[in-house]
Amino acid sequence: MRTPPDEQPVTPALSALVDLQRDAAKPRSATELDRGLATVRARVAADRSRRPILVRGVVLGLAMGLVALAAPRLWRAVRAPAATVAVQRIDGGALLDGGYLAQSGSGGVEVTFNEGTHFKLAAGTRGRLRELRRDGAALSIENGAASFQVTPDPSRRWSVEAGPFLITVKGTVFDVTWDPATERFDLTLRRGRVQVSGPVVGGGITLNAGQHLAVRLPLAETIITETANEQSAGPDDKPAGEAAPPPVNPGASTPGRVPAAKRPGPRAAAEPAAPSTPTAKQPDARGWQAWLAAGQWDRILRDAERAGIPATLEQASSEDLFALADVARYRHRAELARSALLAQRRRFPSSPRALDAIFLLGRVAEVGDGAARATALYDEYLARAPYGPYAGEALGRKMILSNEHGQPTQARTIARQYLLRFPSGSYAAAARALTREP
Amino acid sequence: MPNHLSHAPLALIVGGHPRNASDADLGLALIAGHDWALAETWRRFAPMVLRTADRVLGSRNEADDVAQEVFYQVFRRTSTLRDPSSLRSFIYSFVVRVLKTELRGRKRRRLLFFNPPPAEEMRDVAAADVESRELLYRFNVLLDRLSARDRLVFVLRRTESMTIQEIAATMDLSISTVKRSMAHASDRLDRWIAADPGLAAFVDSQRRAR
Repeated sequence: MRTPPDEQPVTPALSALVDLQRDAAKPRSATELDRGLATVRARVAADRSRRPILVRGVVLGLAMGLVALAAPRLWRAVRAPAATVAVQRIDGGALLDGGYLAQSGSGGVEVTFNEGTHFKLAAGTRGRLRELRRDGAALSIENGAASFQVTPDPSRRWSVEAGPFLITVKGTVFDVTWDPATERFDLTLRRGRVQVSGPVVGGGITLNAGQHLAVRLPLAETIITETANEQSAGPDDKPAGEAAPPPVNPGASTPGRVPAAKRPGPRAAAEPAAPSTPTAKQPDARGWQAWLAAGQWDRILRDAERAGIPATLEQASSEDLFALADVARYRHRAELARSALLAQRRRFPSSPRALDAIFLLGRVAEVGDGAARATALYDEYLARAPYGPYAGEALGRKMILSNEHGQPTQARTIARQYLLRFPSGSYAAAARALTREP
Repeated sequence: MPNHLSHAPLALIVGGHPRNASDADLGLALIAGHDWALAETWRRFAPMVLRTADRVLGSRNEADDVAQEVFYQVFRRTSTLRDPSSLRSFIYSFVVRVLKTELRGRKRRRLLFFNPPPAEEMRDVAAADVESRELLYRFNVLLDRLSARDRLVFVLRRTESMTIQEIAATMDLSISTVKRSMAHASDRLDRWIAADPGLAAFVDSQRRAR
């Protein structure tokens, strides 16, 4: 260890320990860094979607009143802190070194915690109890399917990793499947609310009870569908911000399909974000971004229809138009999504959203107008935003379309370009497969 | 012929790839609220922040939390960045502030909940072998007994190789206070290590093994 010149030397033992401490700090992997960035983005986005100061003041006043009312209960909670989370029982297997859950039979492994949380790994699933903290646990699914039933408690922190995806939960019931071979991720949320971050879902996506999220990484495709849920209330009936923090808004492409988020998300390292053109700070006049973040999609559609779609398209702010385009895609209303994106381009031509709209129009065109129109839009996006947040997506989609429409030579050329620019991007596996072909 | 002027607001446009942007350009872009600047700031500075937090806290998980908190605060407070070219120092000032809060919180939690078993979370140190991990765990237990200020000064000086002047500027302390804090931390650690025969023997055996 180098001794600072203006101090007395330390003992050899302390010196050895300091050296050890210094060398032990290992750098994070790209995935870990991406995950960290996604979390920060989600927090910043949640901040931005907050109400104006006056409203916040009123809310703060109400909150203080509630705190005053709840003070005795809070005091009791402080005096008697919640019990440390611990594993209470493991059925059908055992916990090995490193947290691995080994199955002893063919019925899967069930783990029950002392505060009531319960999860079950399906037979053949490889899973790990990665970390057990005082206030929760981190679990990971390396391959297979698992069901979770997490006891609601705002003071607890539970998270589940499935491949490159991170699910942040409070109190909820859900099933998750991760297949590394096909790089397919599925999450069915039965009760409560969860936030999912990872590649393709961008900075984070909030799911409400009764929704099913399917992500196919090779296609960079995310599909959200509604399923029957255990709660009678739908997403719109739930109070905003009930459990998970409001995340950044997920971006969808074709109806029901969601490509990477509008902001460069966890894949930003592989497909870098661009220096954008002037940022148009449009007021979020209708507050739709906040509703979008809270999963209140139908509320946005109802609001737009009440005001009249043509009037909305002419008067809504840039952010509101984008929110409208998002929910229109989620609800399979391609024409409305297209109209909102076109209005975005026409009314806010110099905003970054207008550039994003070009790419998203391309995704909409893949379903309606055909591959030629979609390719033209991707070309336009790549020409205008070569380092834009959707550059990798645009190049990847162009490659896929060329290959699917009888232009393998062109597809291979694009694949080589893609691999040069985005060697670890979502389409890298497809690009490698194409370049290997004769 | 009428002259049509764009009503688009002026904004910083960095030529080429974000990675080519200087710290000053990046600082300006952050202040202007550009989205790409957020990702680039994280890409450029998160490894430094994580490394420092790892070394100060001795826990990767806690370091992750601290790094996220640091950047969250940095992104919220970009308007207070007066000199964009000093973006690195700006971020480092948040690192020190958040680390100090974290260390104090750790002590407070221990006092409040009367659970002296020190930092179970410190078991997740990233050393290569079991012996080193054990050694580091025990060393972090000792570091945990220092005050937040002494610990920060000691780690910044010894493992981050910052100068006394840099530490004083970053932590908003006088140079004499930093020197005093450094000497205090070193003396106490030396004493505690000597008083822990297991640890001293461990260190000796490790040194012989190398």
